[in-house]
Amino acid sequence: MDLLKSMKISSSGLAANRKRIESISSNIANAQTTRTAEGGPYRKKEVVFGSEPARDSFSEILEGEIDAEAQEVHATEVISTDKPPIMKYDPTHPDANAEGYVALPNINVMEEMAEMITAQRSYEANISALNTTKAMAIKTLEIGRN
Amino acid sequence: MKIDDKTTKALEAALKFREMRQELISSNVANAETPGYKAKVLDFESALARALDVDGQTPMNTSDENHYNVGGGGFDNLQPEIYDDPSGVVSDDGNTVDREKEMALMAENKVIYDALVQLVNKKMGLKKYILNSER
Repeated sequence: MDLLKSMKISSSGLAANRKRIESISSNIANAQTTRTAEGGPYRKKEVVFGSEPARDSFSEILEGEIDAEAQEVHATEVISTDKPPIMKYDPTHPDANAEGYVALPNINVMEEMAEMITAQRSYEANISALNTTKAMAIKTLEIGRN
Repeated sequence: MKIDDKTTKALEAALKFREMRQELISSNVANAETPGYKAKVLDFESALARALDVDGQTPMNTSDENHYNVGGGGFDNLQPEIYDDPSGVVSDDGNTVDREKEMALMAENKVIYDALVQLVNKKMGLKKYILNSER
């Protein structure tokens, strides 16, 4: 049924944005982290969105083109590589190198906060899409009830 | 009045297409920040108008069983069109979704869907009335 698929698509949007908020939280929490399991300072995490056709069974794949037009969104978490760590002069820091510089994560907390608000708005947009779909599905049950 | 008349068929088709449109709008909203995603629109109004023959052009005669009813009057092979929104503004990441527009479309879609459900109920009430009127 189409409405159930709409709900599935909206929930994929919710999941993707939740994942985004997770990685933003992780970035903010680790804005000063200099020790990680991989060694070196914490590296900024980013989430990349990709779309794929919303299908949940083989018969739907056979159904053809029209259903393939509706796309779900999927988030993949990647570690940002293009931002080198910030070198801060702080000879008293335990992780300072021989010249007295500490490698700190290159995380701009303001940027992260702005990104978080965007993610929140996206989440809300998907919630209201989901609610509209739900209201429509409930309305369908009123057919013949008179 | 036929029990399976044109109005019922049109309402059924319209409900189906509104559901489809809801699905596409959900997809557009979910992918509002997916790089390279193009907003999609569903056009079923013109197909439905052709099927209902609203412009009054007589449909083709299908006097033989091998004849196909093309164009007007056919509900059986009603095909909506789905295409990338030509009015979408391309952002830096190649995305064309306008979230405000989608939400407005969704609100409109919901209102008309509810209206269609009411119309179906009215139509069914009418049929019920006719069935009971002989007693």
